[in-house]
Amino acid sequence: MVNQEQALDWLAKVFQEPREKITPETPREAIGSWDSLGVLMLMAELDEQFKIILTDQEMQAMKKVGDVLTLLRERGQLS
Amino acid sequence: MRFILVDEILELEPGRRIKALKAVSRDEDYFQDHFPGFPVVPGVLLTEMMAQAAGKCLEAEDHQRGRPMLAKISEASFRDWMRPGETATIHAEVKNSRQAFATVNCRIEVEERKLCSAELFFTFIPHDKFAPGYRDEVLERFLKKTATGGTGSGA
Repeated sequence: MVNQEQALDWLAKVFQEPREKITPETPREAIGSWDSLGVLMLMAELDEQFKIILTDQEMQAMKKVGDVLTLLRERGQLS
Repeated sequence: MRFILVDEILELEPGRRIKALKAVSRDEDYFQDHFPGFPVVPGVLLTEMMAQAAGKCLEAEDHQRGRPMLAKISEASFRDWMRPGETATIHAEVKNSRQAFATVNCRIEVEERKLCSAELFFTFIPHDKFAPGYRDEVLERFLKKTATGGTGSGA
């Protein structure tokens, strides 16, 4: 289990973006690398780091960083 | 110029692991420039050897999801040189494989020397994007050989 800061650090690494750019309010379109490949990278990292397997539809429904945090919280991976 | 960087598959467990060979001749054109007096195989070609071997391992598992295409080099390191006339032994082990993507750990050795390693990330492209009848001749040769009782799966 991780805390919110650790989760944001992890997302910054996944998307290869500066950490300061990643907040719960950051929309998907503000993250250049959250494109079609970025979606797959996020799916792979969620699977590898948290054993969370999502469908394409679930991934596409995520519109901002906070949606990823909500997912982690719902799956018991975020304190 | 052909771009087949795997000569022969030695062992294959579809979707799990592969061991393959690539021999590099002494007169490859690129040795003239890479580098004069110090000819070594470029790292990009070593990476492509690993990607092609890994791709064959993935394609052998599930032909329906499409052809594996290298999408990201998650990490790579190069520890030693591959010289003209040497033969690379390419190993790839699938770390994670899903319908839409796969990650594969790869390495190349020449005899006992560890040359390089990489973690590669693949996505899948539908077969109808490619020329009709396009087949992986190296993979098909191996599968044909094993189907007729040759040495093969190595499992």
